[in-house]
Amino acid sequence: MIEASGLSKTFEDGEGKSLAVLSGASLRVARGELVAVMGRSGSGKSTLLHILGGLDTDYAGQVTVAGQRLDGASDEALARFRNTTVGFVFQSFHLVSGLTAAENVALPELFGAHAADAPRRALEALERVGLAAKAQRNPAQLSGGERQRVAIARALFLKPPVLLCDEPTGNLDGATGAEIIELFQRLNREGLTILAVTHEDRVSAAAQRVLRLDQGQLV
Amino acid sequence: MKASAVSALVRLNLRRDRRGALSSLFGIAVGVSSLVFFVALGLGISRVVREKVFPVDTRLVEVVPPQVALGGLLGGTLDQAAVDRLAALPGVDRAHRKMNVRVPAVCRYRGDFFGQQLNMGLEVIAVGVDPSLVQADVQLGKFEDPGAGQPIPAVAATRLIEIYNKTFAPARGLPQLSPAMLVGFSFPVELNRSFVTASAVGPSTPGTMQLVGVSERGLLAGVTIPLEAARRINKDHGADAATFTGVTLETSDPAQVPRVVAAVKEMGFRVDDAERRLSENAGAAVAITTLAMALLSALICLLAALNIAHALSASVRARSRELGVMRAVGASRADVARLVRAEALVLGASGGALGAALAVAAAFAVDLAVARFVPDFPFKPDAFFRVPLWLPLAGVALGALAAVVGAVGPSRRAARLEPARVLAG
Ligand SMILES: Nc1ncnc2c1ncn2[C@@H]1O[C@H](COP(=O)(O)OP(=O)(O)OP(=O)(O)O)[C@@H](O)[C@H]1O
Ligand SMILES: [Mg+2]
Repeated sequence: MIEASGLSKTFEDGEGKSLAVLSGASLRVARGELVAVMGRSGSGKSTLLHILGGLDTDYAGQVTVAGQRLDGASDEALARFRNTTVGFVFQSFHLVSGLTAAENVALPELFGAHAADAPRRALEALERVGLAAKAQRNPAQLSGGERQRVAIARALFLKPPVLLCDEPTGNLDGATGAEIIELFQRLNREGLTILAVTHEDRVSAAAQRVLRLDQGQLV
Repeated sequence: MKASAVSALVRLNLRRDRRGALSSLFGIAVGVSSLVFFVALGLGISRVVREKVFPVDTRLVEVVPPQVALGGLLGGTLDQAAVDRLAALPGVDRAHRKMNVRVPAVCRYRGDFFGQQLNMGLEVIAVGVDPSLVQADVQLGKFEDPGAGQPIPAVAATRLIEIYNKTFAPARGLPQLSPAMLVGFSFPVELNRSFVTASAVGPSTPGTMQLVGVSERGLLAGVTIPLEAARRINKDHGADAATFTGVTLETSDPAQVPRVVAAVKEMGFRVDDAERRLSENAGAAVAITTLAMALLSALICLLAALNIAHALSASVRARSRELGVMRAVGASRADVARLVRAEALVLGASGGALGAALAVAAAFAVDLAVARFVPDFPFKPDAFFRVPLWLPLAGVALGALAAVVGAVGPSRRAARLEPARVLAG
């Protein structure tokens, strides 16, 4: 489902020194897998995730996700890919203020060519994460765990085959984090391919396979 | 990205930042309203100049004899032969002849003048014209020489009545006159008589004139009578009855005028364009003032565009995370830029509409106040402002344009945003 090889990425820091974050990293994730990528802070986990999700285009190497070649793809093609093929879940949820939970969930709809009845499908997506009752709340009226559920419902709204998570439980306490992890496991059982980058053992413990990012390589 | 999606997100943003939106909108409204206001004023004033103060028919060319009579050397006399040649010039539809009454005349009026007792003596200046020149404005009888002893039909100038009503009559306690009242009014004239010169020779002839209409083509400082009547009076009193004082050439359209003027000069005649010059000068003065005001307003619009640019830049910076989220869920760089531009367009167009509405309301209010509270004066128009439909529409378009220009920078910045940078953590 996800295939990447020879990924390299260097950042220029302020003083003109360059920092190689990825140097020839490769990975392969099969359909229906739940894989965790671990590494210490600053090892390049988020960077890797952005490349795999088509959010970053400035790198070397090849990436194919769900049969789509990402390196060298046009901005329009990458936008369509992010809209339909992957869902993102972030550590800080990144909900849009001023929109209700349901409207947040339906956000991808605005950038796609999809049909009507978005409100009903948003409610269905919220049901899947157990939050249908709070569909009309604003993000500010929700707890951290609830916000992350809304974010997950948004990521799944257009039924992408792949979910990419960046420290999905990083801002949640133990019990709430455990609920989110359970949710991921359930979604994975239903067929979703999940790649989560994290430095938390509780996430990697739930994964079927754990990769380590070290010195710009995946092992 | 669908239009409905753009509109939903623009509405969301405007709702969340009402103050910022209002300030941008207000800037545009100020610029557009001043522009619409001053252009409407300029259009209104230039119409007054054109239609009331100097009602010049741009198709007409006034031909007069050369100043220094060079005898027959250059064919400079304006006799019938010359008129025939002028009428035959290409581009000329018709030639209307004019002949001054070349003997002095006075009017001694004693009696009822529209409900007032009047005792007045006036020099009368009269010009005879081809009936075709004023026929359209004649409301009573036929405009032709009725023969000796009969009342002579006469046409008064519209502007003369305006000046009489606004300046002459109020100072002398005389009644206000309308064209409808004047038609049919008769007054006595004595031909070959003057209050100011002793030059009149021979006996004077009593007669009557009757006003039959009011025309913009009438002689300003006198009365306009049928050409044949003037010719007869001149002949009867031994004055020149063969050459004309002037000829008004009617061209088929204003574009022909320069050509006709050149041909007339070629023939050795002069063209009297004093009126036309005055009109053009007044028109130019109005146009320049309007232009200056319009430029000033355009400058305000430019400032409004800068204001919008500034506000949008701040807004894009403040929303960078959110824009990153939109990119993550499927927005392209172009989509993000489109969002910023659409927001500016909405602000600009509504600011423009607000400004145009304010300007039209202000123009209307000023006109109403002037009509009510400013005393009458010559050529006082019914309205100082003219608001053709295109003007407020142009105001809205200008507001939208200013905003979209202001959005160029911010929308580019929004498109350049790297989501990877703002979403991590
Ligand atoms: N835009 C950038 N410019 C320069 N350096 C950057 C930039 N983004 C990331 N880096 C650097 O690249 C390295 C990898 O960053 P990345 O965010 O991928 O790490 P991470 O593994 O996700 O860390 P964490 O666990 O703290 O989230 C870090 O050293 C970081 O400082
Ligand atoms: Mg990270």
